[in-house]
Amino acid sequence: MSLATRRVEEYTAKDYKSELKPIWCPGCGDFGVVQAIYRALAAIGRPPHEIAFISGIGCSSRIPGYTTAYGFNTVHGRALPIAQGIKLANPDLLVLGAGGDGDGFSIGGGHVAHAIRRNIDMTYIVMDNQIYGLTKGQLSPTSARGRRTASSALGAMEAPVNPLLYVLGYGCEFVAQGTPADMNGLAQVIEEGIRYPGFAFINVQSPCVTYGLEDQMLKAQKAVMQKLETLGHDPADRLAAMALAQEYGTKLYTGVFYRNPHPEPTFEGLARARHEELGAGTHPRAEVLNVFKLRK
Amino acid sequence: MNSDLVIGMAGSGGDGIVSAGESLLTAAALDGYHGVMSKSFGPQIRGGESSFRLRVSTSKVLNSGGTLDIAVALNWDDFLKFGGELPVGGNTIVVYDSNTKVAPNQIPLVGVTPAEVLAVPIEQMAREEGGTDRAKNTVVLGLMSGWLGIGREQMIAGIRRRLAKKGDAVVDNAVKAFHAGLAYAEAHPLGTGRRMARPDRAEAKFVVDGNDLCGAAAIVAGCDFFGGYPITPSSEIMHFLGREIWKYGGTMLQCEDEIAGIGAVVGASFAGKKAMTATSGPGMSLKSEILGLATIAELPLVCVNVQRGGPSTGIPTKAEQSDLFQAVFSAHGDVIRPVLAPVSAEDMYAMTIEAFNVAEYYQTPVIILSDGDIGQRKETAEPIDGTKVELVSRRTPTEKELEHYVRFRVTESGISPISHPGMKGGNYLASGIEHNESGAPTANGEMHAKMNEKRLRKFAPLKRRRDLFVTEGGHDAPIAVISWGSVAGVAIEATQIALRQGLKVKLLVPRLLYPINEEVYQDFFLSVKRGLIVEQNHQGQLYRLLRMFVDVPRGVETLAKSGSNPITPLEVVERLRQLTWAMQREKTPEPSHG
Repeated sequence: MSLATRRVEEYTAKDYKSELKPIWCPGCGDFGVVQAIYRALAAIGRPPHEIAFISGIGCSSRIPGYTTAYGFNTVHGRALPIAQGIKLANPDLLVLGAGGDGDGFSIGGGHVAHAIRRNIDMTYIVMDNQIYGLTKGQLSPTSARGRRTASSALGAMEAPVNPLLYVLGYGCEFVAQGTPADMNGLAQVIEEGIRYPGFAFINVQSPCVTYGLEDQMLKAQKAVMQKLETLGHDPADRLAAMALAQEYGTKLYTGVFYRNPHPEPTFEGLARARHEELGAGTHPRAEVLNVFKLRK
Repeated sequence: MNSDLVIGMAGSGGDGIVSAGESLLTAAALDGYHGVMSKSFGPQIRGGESSFRLRVSTSKVLNSGGTLDIAVALNWDDFLKFGGELPVGGNTIVVYDSNTKVAPNQIPLVGVTPAEVLAVPIEQMAREEGGTDRAKNTVVLGLMSGWLGIGREQMIAGIRRRLAKKGDAVVDNAVKAFHAGLAYAEAHPLGTGRRMARPDRAEAKFVVDGNDLCGAAAIVAGCDFFGGYPITPSSEIMHFLGREIWKYGGTMLQCEDEIAGIGAVVGASFAGKKAMTATSGPGMSLKSEILGLATIAELPLVCVNVQRGGPSTGIPTKAEQSDLFQAVFSAHGDVIRPVLAPVSAEDMYAMTIEAFNVAEYYQTPVIILSDGDIGQRKETAEPIDGTKVELVSRRTPTEKELEHYVRFRVTESGISPISHPGMKGGNYLASGIEHNESGAPTANGEMHAKMNEKRLRKFAPLKRRRDLFVTEGGHDAPIAVISWGSVAGVAIEATQIALRQGLKVKLLVPRLLYPINEEVYQDFFLSVKRGLIVEQNHQGQLYRLLRMFVDVPRGVETLAKSGSNPITPLEVVERLRQLTWAMQREKTPEPSHG
């Protein structure tokens, strides 16, 4: 078990719930996501002050404020670089990142690949609702082609990003999907993601009740969702995971698509080893000026 | 005997021009001389034109001087590409490779008659003695050592040290090439002597450059995290920390882009660590949004801008001071962001430490405005003792304050104790969204005004600081010189020359460019009738910035030039003389025609 998941004392879900009242619309899927996060954190049991919860901008990015963790509601699209800086500055923290599909796959899309290749031990939860809710209903990177929105009155011409295939393609070692339509399953994949010793990605089909489509609502999801484990999917099989991920947008699979059975080293793990090797902490800082001394 | 000489040399990239300049500077420094060496390149990655200008002096120098005393051209095409960066005058000795087949009376320098012109078989000596034409730079070192009478033993030792890995044969050949140059110089003494006098005290000094020293100072200041993205001319800061910071427990992260670079730094600061990023103009543009985040979330960080020619890609390889407006004004919202500017490579040490102290104390991003000259030039510096340094760390909450912790509490000073993840009881929500004292998001106008007031008021003590200004000259002098950054080194020397010549001048160099200490400027301008604001940009950005905050006397004008167009001390002195005459004419009543 990694340091991040070391159990210190007993906590319940309500220990992670803050006093702030969410600004979300009644019935928003994100209510379920934050509940699932409370449950996952209680199962892990790290005290709230050892958790850093980072988000970008968007409806879903308000989420850190609704927890008792150290929260940082940053700027649009930059949750990942900021979260990585936090984890590298203090690897003992449990670091969560969260945001919407616009934050993660449009304005911040360039950061996802690099978070994956650095493999910093953190969990990134994307609340994917296929719409920009906060700015009142524009096309998002995961909106289907043809979709009519405020900014695509005559129908979208571009194909959607496939978040699952995107992260699998970049070599993400833990990839899962959940929905508030299955609270137990969602809390479980979040907990598993946190426990995975590396960068974990969780896509959550979290419907927008104001701008979303009928077939995206929780009721509709319940009718079509399929648990990957009931399909006999082996989460150690990356190619099988990619084949299933290919069906994003047509099928709603929940559970773990891929979990690398042989986790790669994390950036902070390698950094720790380098620090030890160089005897970090034993050198007075003033020594660094010796490089400017002239040698006869 | 000379106390101060400027040597300029140009050739192709593969000629080892810069390494020759560095060898010369190091040898001179070991002999106890002071020196500044600037390098300049064409835009090519490899090859292309390359040059250095080195000023060697028996006393402290702050710039790489004006007209060359000795100009060395390995070939004329490359030399001429540097134009005003390698100015030849009537007192210059021009040395060039005789393999260029140009007769001394036909060298392609227009409108100038150098003191002496010498065609020297540099390449021939390199081939015959050094065994390769790659030894041309070593032959030139021999020539310089012979003519200037400096660094002979040091240079031979330097050659041995540098080439040791390549085996005895290579070392022996290089030493032979050096001796060939030396012998040539001794056999062909210069008609106009260029031997250097002994330095003020023959003590070995540090040789520093602004970028490396910035990295080292950051480590001394307690920086534990650097995030950045490669960009000319700042990358050496990242290179340095990538080598050195790990040993001291820190982390260097090369990020996927400029935004991620400062993002990771904001994150590290949120996590409680001192953190820094470095970039140049285009990168600053990209970092603007997150600088704003650090301002509203009140997170300390240092952001270095090693300025280059702009706008856009501009001239990446040449220094310019044209990002002052950007540093001061690029934020959206009501923001004060401290801006510091070192006046030399050596000063980068003090300014970097200061930047961390200001950032931590005021919980704010701080911008250091360096430039390609300060960042990349090498200069001798007094030895620095990194144990004697005053460091400031952010004010963290006491145990009692953690009992009912309020992150953004409106205190008398405007500075609120700051916790970080891991600190029990300090949990709070940081955000780019306007927030109340406890950190909860708000859109309330009263709260927004209150928070703006707090975030701006906290800088009052910084604004009052008078110690971050360099001054010279008499308090009541009527002629003023103001300058900043690398060009301040030129202005300081010009002021000293003007004072020696009896001109009534005084100098003010702000190292704290923003916020503006209005009192310092008002006091300074009290006696001023005429003046000059000297800076390396087209618009006169400091001049215009000052006019926004201070009543600048009407007789104060600018000496502002775009980057890559050197400003020399004598040029500044000449302008000061003209200002003096103009002032005197004004005072003398016109003859009456009545």
